[in-house]
Amino acid sequence: METRFDEQGIVRANKPVGAGLYLMELEAEKTAHSIAPGQFVHLRLPRMEAHILRRPFSIYSATPENATIEILYQCVGFGTAHLSELLVGEVLDVMGPLGNTWHTPDSAERALLVGGGVGAAPLFMLAEELLGKGIAFDVVLGAQRKDALVCRTRFEALFMGGSVHAFSLAHANSTLFCATDDGSFGHGGFCTELSKDLLSKQAYDYMAVCGPEPMMRIAVQQALECDTPCEVSLEKRMACGVGACLSCVVDTSEGKKRSCVDGPVFDARKVVFA
Amino acid sequence: MRVKMRVNLGGLGMKNPVTTASGTFASGREYSDFVKLSALGALTTKGVSLHAWEGNATPRIAETPSGMLNSIGLQNPGVKKFLENDIPWLRKQNVPIIVNVSGHTLNEYLILLKILEEEKSIDAYELNISCPNVDAGGMTFGSDVKSVEEIVTRARALATKPLIVKLTPNVGDIAEIARAAESSGADALSLINTVLGMAIDARTKKPLLARVVGGLSGPAVKPIALRMVYETYQAVSIPLLGMGGIMNGEDAVEFMLAGATAVAVGTANFVNPRATIEVIEGIQNYCEIYGVKDVNELIGGLQC
Ligand SMILES: Cc1cc2nc3c(=O)[nH]c(=O)nc-3n(C[C@H](O)[C@H](O)[C@H](O)COP(=O)(O)OP(=O)(O)OC[C@H]3O[C@@H](n4cnc5c(N)ncnc54)[C@H](O)[C@@H]3O)c2cc1C
Ligand SMILES: Cc1cc2nc3c(=O)[nH]c(=O)nc-3n(C[C@H](O)[C@H](O)[C@H](O)COP(=O)(O)O)c2cc1C
Ligand code: FES
Repeated sequence: METRFDEQGIVRANKPVGAGLYLMELEAEKTAHSIAPGQFVHLRLPRMEAHILRRPFSIYSATPENATIEILYQCVGFGTAHLSELLVGEVLDVMGPLGNTWHTPDSAERALLVGGGVGAAPLFMLAEELLGKGIAFDVVLGAQRKDALVCRTRFEALFMGGSVHAFSLAHANSTLFCATDDGSFGHGGFCTELSKDLLSKQAYDYMAVCGPEPMMRIAVQQALECDTPCEVSLEKRMACGVGACLSCVVDTSEGKKRSCVDGPVFDARKVVFA
Repeated sequence: MRVKMRVNLGGLGMKNPVTTASGTFASGREYSDFVKLSALGALTTKGVSLHAWEGNATPRIAETPSGMLNSIGLQNPGVKKFLENDIPWLRKQNVPIIVNVSGHTLNEYLILLKILEEEKSIDAYELNISCPNVDAGGMTFGSDVKSVEEIVTRARALATKPLIVKLTPNVGDIAEIARAAESSGADALSLINTVLGMAIDARTKKPLLARVVGGLSGPAVKPIALRMVYETYQAVSIPLLGMGGIMNGEDAVEFMLAGATAVAVGTANFVNPRATIEVIEGIQNYCEIYGVKDVNELIGGLQC
């Protein structure tokens, strides 16, 4: 395993991007150079007062050339609300790189990525990686409303070859599908309705899922039914983030696993959903 | 000025007064990217039991004002795996090893101790009779004078290494329990384990922990821990290992002034993975600033 560290990150940008979601850019050189798709960082924020624990976040994107990482986050409580108030130039502690990575087999011919809400964040680096490896993939994103589909433009740019990568996906027939609960963009309904449809029409040999637990459960069920290898990224409350405290365990067919070191990415077949 | 940092905790020599609080540092491997383990006074392992324990359902932790609740429930793979996987690695780290010993029944504690006695590289035991997160054993052993006497006497008869008995704060009279442990042969006492507590989410009307109740740790418990170390120091003459909310060197010094010979750093590791090292440096700095030549001068130095 690579060496973990705790480095100082400097806030370079921190902006609302719609529907209670924020995008933070951090200068964190070591993390930017070492983080792999699926991994996360454990943040210690300044002035958290009586809130002593760190907060775990996936990496949305990393740009080693600029020594920066991005985190896409949703305000759900004190810590994330406080995070949204940090100003450019403020310093926080970034522990990383933590957790495991997605394990798309190199032999995969077509992958399906399903992201619900802010759960789409940890899928973006995976999409970039698949693109780099020349593995075709489709992406399904779901959100409550159009303005919460914040990852859409990035994925679109990736599909257009407009990303930093020169490789264009056009030939691979890859598509981005969107669903909104209120029908304000794309399919009106859940993203799992789209994934169900895709799985019935197309052969996929890998599926990656991240989002709210009820959504993941449905997507996993779909993958199991058509025997598609599937991985899920789980969110568990964490204290240490390095495997020492046993706070974050997940029930699996192989017993209890620590999601901060054995996960957050798990083989969907092995996870015992509560 | 060179501060003398060495202390003796009931026969366990420590090059400085700082160890890890059981259950917050595993067996050290997880923190070895952040901390050179040989810099610690000792390393206290996660609770080990005779057989593997599953622990409790999740969520197992909740953040609470200036602290956290946990209901891990002593999840561990059992002594056999511990001796196979952890001890060989720990042995190479050049740090005194304190093994935290747990059980559901008296017999389990005793069989476990017999097995641990075979392992030469273990330097001391911390007898955990204070875990609030298991239904049988744990804290129930540590809350009653008679059962404390029985388990400590029996453990003493088996243990050839320093025996530290870990006390629960969830009792009416800590001095009475401490005296019982001392008279039954404990070499040192450690305190406090976590304080029983709970947290509720008003919006969902549900408890934040699956087990409903759990153990409180972190800065929130420090005043309770200091008071209990102080009371215990007055009641017994064996050395104390103080813990409960120690975040920095100054906190550690407060515990020593209240009567602790050594201190353990627990929840602070989750906040800052280098907390143990910073506590050691902080104690040293304090001594330099206040002209303390030997850290032992701090023990019980409270001026009332
Ligand atoms: C591996 C991992 C990756 C994550 N990636 C992202 C991400 O990219 N973007 C994003 O918006 N959120 C992400 N989360 C969830 C994020 O950590 C929580 O939303 C955040 O900790 C909430 O903190 P709070 O103080 O605002 O909420 P509070 O509810 O006040 O927090 C109280 C406690 O509960 C914990 N907690 C609350 N919700 C969660 C949760 N969903 N998962 C884990 N712990 C929680 C907090 O860390 C804290 O200890 C991730 C979680 C994990 C485990
Ligand atoms: C997550 C967690 C796990 C713990 N596990 C154990 C354990 O296995 N055995 C034990 O004796 N104490 C255990 N404790 C208690 C600590 O060792 C310590 O007594 C307590 O947390 C107070 O110190 P602190 O405030 O510095 O954490 C645990 C505490 C926490 C927070
Ligand atoms: S958060 Fe401590 S073991 Fe995973």
